[in-house]
Amino acid sequence: MQATGFDAWAVSLVVFLPLLGALVMLAVPSKEEETHKLIALVSSLGALAAGIYILVQFDYDNTSELQFLVDKSWIDVINSRFIVGVDGLSLPMLILSLVVVPLCIVYSWQHIPEPGNPKAFLMLILVLATGMNGTFVSHDLILFFVFFEIVLLPMYFMIGVWGGPERKYASLKFFLFTLFGSALMILSFLALFFVAEDPSGTALNTFDMRALSQWAGAGLSLTTAVVIFGGMFMGFGIKVPMFPFHTWLPDAHTQAPTVGSVILAAVLLKLGTYGFIRIALPILPRAAEQWAPWIGLLAVIGIIYGALGCLAQTDMKRLIAFSSVAHMGYVMLGISTLTTLGINAAVFGMVAHGLITGILFFVAGSVKERYHTLEIARLGGLLKAAPRMGWILGFATMASLGLPGLAGFWGEFPAILAAYQPAPALSEELFRVYMVIAALGTVLAAGYLLWLYQRTAFGEPTEEFADLEIADVNQYEWLAWTPFLLAILAFGVYPNLIFSLTDDTVGNIVSAFGG
Amino acid sequence: MSELVRSYLTVAIFAAAAVGLVGLLLGISRILRPQRPSVSKQMAYESGVDPEGGDWAQSQIRYYVFAVLFVIFDVEAVFIFPWAVRLEVYGLFGLIEMFIFIAILALGLGYAWRKGVLRWV
Amino acid sequence: MELAMLAFERPAIDWHAFAPELVLLAVGSILTLIDIVYNERARRVMPALAAVGLLATLVPVLTLAVDGADRSMFDGAFVVDDMALTLKALFLISGFVVVLLSVDYIRDGDYHENEYYSLLLASLLGMVLIASSRDLITMFIALELLSIPAYMLAAWRKGGATSNEAGLKYYLMGVFASAIMLYGMSLIFGVSGSTQFDAIRVALDTGGDSAPMVTLGILFVLVGFGFKVSAVPFHTWAPDVYEGSPTPITAFLAVAAKAAGFVALLQLVFVAFSGRYDVVEPFFWIMAALTMTVGNLMALRQTNIVRMLAYSGVAQGGFMLAPFAVAGQATDSAIQAIVTYLIIYAFMNLGAFAVVLAVAKKTRSGEISSYAGLFSYAPGLAVAMTVFMAALAGIPPAGGWVAKLLVWRALLDASSVQGTVLAVVVAFNAVLAFSYYAKVLREMWMSDAPDGDTSPVSVSGTLTLALGLTVLATLAFGVFPQLAARFGDFSASFAL
Repeated sequence: MQATGFDAWAVSLVVFLPLLGALVMLAVPSKEEETHKLIALVSSLGALAAGIYILVQFDYDNTSELQFLVDKSWIDVINSRFIVGVDGLSLPMLILSLVVVPLCIVYSWQHIPEPGNPKAFLMLILVLATGMNGTFVSHDLILFFVFFEIVLLPMYFMIGVWGGPERKYASLKFFLFTLFGSALMILSFLALFFVAEDPSGTALNTFDMRALSQWAGAGLSLTTAVVIFGGMFMGFGIKVPMFPFHTWLPDAHTQAPTVGSVILAAVLLKLGTYGFIRIALPILPRAAEQWAPWIGLLAVIGIIYGALGCLAQTDMKRLIAFSSVAHMGYVMLGISTLTTLGINAAVFGMVAHGLITGILFFVAGSVKERYHTLEIARLGGLLKAAPRMGWILGFATMASLGLPGLAGFWGEFPAILAAYQPAPALSEELFRVYMVIAALGTVLAAGYLLWLYQRTAFGEPTEEFADLEIADVNQYEWLAWTPFLLAILAFGVYPNLIFSLTDDTVGNIVSAFGG
Repeated sequence: MSELVRSYLTVAIFAAAAVGLVGLLLGISRILRPQRPSVSKQMAYESGVDPEGGDWAQSQIRYYVFAVLFVIFDVEAVFIFPWAVRLEVYGLFGLIEMFIFIAILALGLGYAWRKGVLRWV
Repeated sequence: MELAMLAFERPAIDWHAFAPELVLLAVGSILTLIDIVYNERARRVMPALAAVGLLATLVPVLTLAVDGADRSMFDGAFVVDDMALTLKALFLISGFVVVLLSVDYIRDGDYHENEYYSLLLASLLGMVLIASSRDLITMFIALELLSIPAYMLAAWRKGGATSNEAGLKYYLMGVFASAIMLYGMSLIFGVSGSTQFDAIRVALDTGGDSAPMVTLGILFVLVGFGFKVSAVPFHTWAPDVYEGSPTPITAFLAVAAKAAGFVALLQLVFVAFSGRYDVVEPFFWIMAALTMTVGNLMALRQTNIVRMLAYSGVAQGGFMLAPFAVAGQATDSAIQAIVTYLIIYAFMNLGAFAVVLAVAKKTRSGEISSYAGLFSYAPGLAVAMTVFMAALAGIPPAGGWVAKLLVWRALLDASSVQGTVLAVVVAFNAVLAFSYYAKVLREMWMSDAPDGDTSPVSVSGTLTLALGLTVLATLAFGVFPQLAARFGDFSASFAL
């Protein structure tokens, strides 16, 4: 049912207000930096306000139904439509993205990285916001693809212009990897357009995700379905990123400016996993069953590989980046079980990882700003030098290693549990092996995170920085970080905040797997 | 597939024939001709006179321009003759047509004149 | 005896249908006339006259479009339908932008100015004509009319050796291609007994016994046009010619002249040779795959921006050739993909050349490294170039992605193995292409200006107008793809 009145505009506002802000900034001369910051903040807060309106007006009794739906014609010649809406699956992701962006802008208030130019920097953040929000609400494959791609260029520039010494290499690597994936993904989308047909045998010729999910690959030969799923797997899997396509991630994270890392970790990586749950699984469930063991295998390899990678790092930011590979492995493991529990855990894991890794990168950025290095061996005694920051880092590492009572736990633990009893079509033995390996991964995670914390926060500051006056958390940082900390705690204590939202939608998806 | 191969086979045969013909002609002449090179035979042929100076001679650009103008009017004549033979059939329509044609060519001549192409100094 | 019996029947002339060509011819003649009368004193008004003339030519195109009726003259050799009108408009608008690009360049460079614009109009007349031609002879004449002025324009920098080389190379390759094409046409004519496309189609459909001749004829014609659209392996002239020619002419050749070749190919493949897709499809499959791959690989190695754009143009040509490989299997979507690609390509490529012109005015260099730090001193130009590079690479929201999407759609619509494989080849190439477009982006945004020279670039009014037009169009096509795609929907024009 199409939304009416203001409801019909709410989703579009969420998506396009940031873009509008960017356009307004285009007209303002770049000297007026304060005005730019204000416009960026106001437009992203405006989008957040529209998001809160959606949150308030959302019908929580029908979470699996698409709400605030708008369905307008867009590209008639290929029957692609402007279909946007929100359901229980997209809502948490959308809100995550809406919250992260203004906080990043607040953080940037005092922290525009070299070589400056807040106008361009903030405009890129706003364009990113449009792409991310748009991806989470679009229900047409072509529209999804466009938003999915829109985030590429701003992130490319963010890494390439404001990044570290190896920024050119890192940004190009990021771009080429993801572009390669999405080129194959769009081929799969187009293939779906041609192969989907209704029960009577007439071609659907549509990009509408709802119609395609309803069709769910009926009457399609398994080989074709597996190949088409493969294209989507490349597109989404590289974005996640899954082992062995993960190599762009540590480079991108290490070189990106703080805000870039935060957005990348908190939201961009989720576009891939979201795509799996939203598009790949419901549209081609039979192919998903064929792929699931392999996805699960790559996921557990990612978990162990990421953890071992962490242990080998000497750079704090690179370590956090590798921990992302491991954590996204849990998310993918949850998805690969094709069960309600597993996919719910995956969605929770996406939100939790977004918040936790986001705050970790924030802290890393602030540490770097104060010490001008992130080399773990040279750091130390953060708790002495800047106690508040030290405690925040401690809180984030605890959340990241999956301490019960904090958000990280609810992403990992149910995912591992779900592997005990995967969907009927999948091999139980295999997934139990995966389960054991993944559980081993949590031990490693505790190892490298505690090790990191011990070496950076405990003890005395190293001689090098002994005399250096380290400023503690400032007001902009408090403003940007507090919501993260509160959310991590809130979701940890009361995980149902998210599970209750996603459960019905996930249940619909999983019904195709008889789980 | 065999249909495709057959239709492209023609192309291959055609190409082979083209290469073969050239090779054949050159080969035959190579086999048949006597080969007794001498200095005077290697010299460039200049109407029996010994060549003098370098082989890179420039000729006046004006000759070229005149040649082009000549070709233009030659072609004009080629069009006008048959037209004139059948003029009574074409009637007024044909007359106007030819005037347009001549006018456009005259434009070119006028251009050449104005730019000093017709002056020989 | 014989002659007298051949009664002459005056051909019915639909003046309205013919109006765009007539207006353009008149404007070109007037330009020459003014040149004759006022000589050098007329230099300053020439570009304005040419631009106004092109806009004036658009008027009858628009009235014909509003009228909407399909018109046909000279026994179907000259046809005005939606597709012809769209392409005419495309040529005229491209020509208009090229005039905008030329104004400063030609004035400051001390070139012959008056002749430049009349030759440009003459070449455009050929293009406008080729959009309507449905007959081998008409098409050939139009093709020569657009090529011969282009040979001269390529050599317009008389003082420069590279420009002379460009002109000569282009000319020699052009006539070589014409000769091959003519040979092919004569074979086709021999088999079919007609020069008219519809009649050729019917004849080729039924002419089973003369199949070898048909294959040869078709291939020769297509190879001839392969030269014109610089398809690999007939592309070798393109980079030298593009680099040597005056930059506005490079833009003209890369966009309008190439489009003209594709327009001719459209008519030939989808009308005249539509009975012989079995010959046409494999030929284009190989050409398309080669063209995009070789074009991209060569572009990767370039350090000069114009040469890079030249090879990128070759690769883009490969993307446009790809739908021909499924011409018979997915006719409608193939036509749509090609025409839409042509429209979007024209704007994004012209825009890129506009930036090249603007930047070269300051840096006096065509090296990609001279773009270093452009963002720091000319943010507007850098953003515009970013839009064009993104469009060429096919990154939304800039226009190019729609073009690539439609190509993929056509290839998959064929639902054949060849189509799918070619689609994957296109996908690989799209990624490959980004790595050299990124080279320009990287210099502009991520490097420091050479010698710290950050004095601003002065961009003239005409160049600004050209940039504005192309940026706007490129973005509009990307955000509202329907704008471009509806102009590509010509299944009706080819209803056979």
